[in-house]
Amino acid sequence: MSSSHIRGGEAGPVAGDRREHAPRQSPAGTPGGATRLVDVTMPQMGVSVAEGTVVGWRVEVGDRIEADQTICEISTDKIDTDVPAPVSGVVAEILVPVERTVSVGAVLARIAPAGVGVADGGTEAPRDGTRVARGNGAPGNGARGGAQAGAPTPSTQPATAPGSRRYSPVVQRIAAEHGIDLSQIEGTGRGGRVRKQDVLAFLDAARAAPAEPPLHIESPYRPEPAPAVVAPATAPGATPPLADGGQLSRMRRQIGEHMKRSLETAATCTTWIEVDMTRIEAARAPLGFTALPFVARATIAALREHPALNAWLEDERYTRPEEINLGIAVSLGEDGLIVPIVHRAHELSVEGLAARIKELARRARSRELTADEVRGGTFTITNPGQYGSIMATPIINQPQVAILDLEAVTKHPLVVTDADGSDSIAIRPTTILGLSWDHRALDGAQAARFLASIKRRLEGWSGSEA
Amino acid sequence: MTASLTYLQAISAALRDELRSDERVLLMGEDIGVFGGAFKVTDGFIDEFGGDRVMDTPLAESAIIGTAIGAAVVGMRPVCEMQFADFISCGFDQLVNVAAKMHYRQGLAVPITVRLPSGGGFSGGPFHSQNPEAWFMHAPGIKVVAPSTAEDAKGLLHAAIHDPNPVCFMEHKHLYRRIKGEVPEGIFETPLTARVARPGTELAVIAYGAMVHVAVEATEDLDGASVEVLDLRSLVPLDEDAILDSVARCSKVVIVDEANATCAAGAQVAALIAERGFEDLDGPVVRVATPNVPIPFSPSLEQAVLPSVERVREACRELLAY
Repeated sequence: MSSSHIRGGEAGPVAGDRREHAPRQSPAGTPGGATRLVDVTMPQMGVSVAEGTVVGWRVEVGDRIEADQTICEISTDKIDTDVPAPVSGVVAEILVPVERTVSVGAVLARIAPAGVGVADGGTEAPRDGTRVARGNGAPGNGARGGAQAGAPTPSTQPATAPGSRRYSPVVQRIAAEHGIDLSQIEGTGRGGRVRKQDVLAFLDAARAAPAEPPLHIESPYRPEPAPAVVAPATAPGATPPLADGGQLSRMRRQIGEHMKRSLETAATCTTWIEVDMTRIEAARAPLGFTALPFVARATIAALREHPALNAWLEDERYTRPEEINLGIAVSLGEDGLIVPIVHRAHELSVEGLAARIKELARRARSRELTADEVRGGTFTITNPGQYGSIMATPIINQPQVAILDLEAVTKHPLVVTDADGSDSIAIRPTTILGLSWDHRALDGAQAARFLASIKRRLEGWSGSEA
Repeated sequence: MTASLTYLQAISAALRDELRSDERVLLMGEDIGVFGGAFKVTDGFIDEFGGDRVMDTPLAESAIIGTAIGAAVVGMRPVCEMQFADFISCGFDQLVNVAAKMHYRQGLAVPITVRLPSGGGFSGGPFHSQNPEAWFMHAPGIKVVAPSTAEDAKGLLHAAIHDPNPVCFMEHKHLYRRIKGEVPEGIFETPLTARVARPGTELAVIAYGAMVHVAVEATEDLDGASVEVLDLRSLVPLDEDAILDSVARCSKVVIVDEANATCAAGAQVAALIAERGFEDLDGPVVRVATPNVPIPFSPSLEQAVLPSVERVREACRELLAY
């Protein structure tokens, strides 16, 4: 897994670590004691995360850095991410070597803030590729640049000549219709002018690209685009696919440890139920959704009916959270998978769930998830049905007490009973829902009732909420 | 059944078919009878239909059109030949002030057709080379058609003769014997609408009459660009939908007129596009036309002022690259 870059402009936990507290000043400064170094610490990545591993350093001692610039990459058992510099200045010390695992809060490096004289990198600009654009940062960021603060860069200047920023009526109309930012299109007309065909080619390319790779999780009625996982080529944390004779990637090791720990911890049983998906198929088609958001919606409703399954079991402590935070397993190709969380999923409609799941999957694949988005799950759905598999025995995502598996929706002959009670055989889209549940927390009857509740909601789908 | 006819033969065939099928049709013009017409359009007609229906007239265009108006008002379907389109200026008052306004003033239909052998390219000089269609586009009450193919020459002439309004039939002299095509036999009407001579998507060249052929040749191979050629066929009524369709499809337009540029038919097309096709434009509306000079007699000078294949090609290249 490559680095998950948390942008400075977002209040993710890493950035928040910096903003919520004033930079911690270290008295252990350089000779003279007058200068105070700023600590860079291992951030708190999530409630259950106690430690993290340094995957790679992007800077060296003596490098001049700017606030928000990535200085190192770290990996936790949940996600990988970048650690941004809390202030502008010069890297004074690097305290944790690569591959070392340290506790949350441990000091990773120390930075001499701008204006403080430590083995100064001089006045030259930061090295190429390490400079982080600051136009989107918090307003205060610029002031931290010390000597540079007096010379703000005019960032609103167009990159090209003013003449080329004029667009013909048809180009403007197409751009407006499709919500295109024309500045991102390279013009092939005279003087770089953006022509109609440039806009159309841009639209075509956008259409041709796999807009949204499938979740882990797709209906078999969809074509399967290639997973579009692009890792930054230079990211030290990037892991190559598992090769013959090679070592397991950190992500694979972590997934493996989780899975083994779950099986060792829980008394895992799996129960299946067959569901007639005729109404779901009819309902999802006009919306362009897969079956997943519908199953998610029905599951949420069933969880409200059977709150015993929306729970955590940690050792002997059993908790039933008020909210339903629904985890959705998202495949990251050969790298592994991650389970982003739809927080407060009970407040969302089918459309809302579909949009939220899609967005989380996109963020997962582009490694943009924040730690908040992968923690706090109360129930998980996994949906590896895109290849047509029909049953599985999923492993519970600890400390949750159950996980629902949605496999392929396929057509099967089914005995259906009409209003008069007479039976006939019909071809119906069906699926088999599998529920792995922890026998420590509940019993088979509860699991079966829960599955029956989902089945009833899916088969009786009427367009309103399940 | 079709016959392979030149543009001129197609016009002759249309007149012959009309004379044979409708006894209200009669032809009037200078030297159209015994001589068979300056361009031999009515060659032999006087033998088949007689001097009463193929009438040689004095050299007086005002008299020709005036007489035709009178005949039309009492139910005839006269077809007047101007020996050269240029000479219609002598009949201007009858056509523009009398024929065009008759229906408006007195509710009387004037179903006359005025054939106007027009256009240059043969060193005819300033009196024999003009394209005066715009004069009549500016006079409400007159229809103006300008075929570019043999089939349309015949079909539009039938349509003109059947039309209850005065119709100026612009027949291009340069096409008379140079253009040949399969023409359906018998009487048929070509609608007064534009025709896509060649479909395309990147650039539309809008033309009519002889300039359609110039446009087609000029854009046959423009580095693989997909160029549409729209043949207007009718100038009044102007097929605005077809023009705006082409603009919507291609977003870049070159308009070609053989007529003098100012207030030419192409100027009207350009105005239409500016007014109603603005949102579809991806470049300036480009016009290629004859500058505002009399047509020179000198062959080299004439070729310099008339829109040539090369000029049209260059204009298209420029606009495609824009």
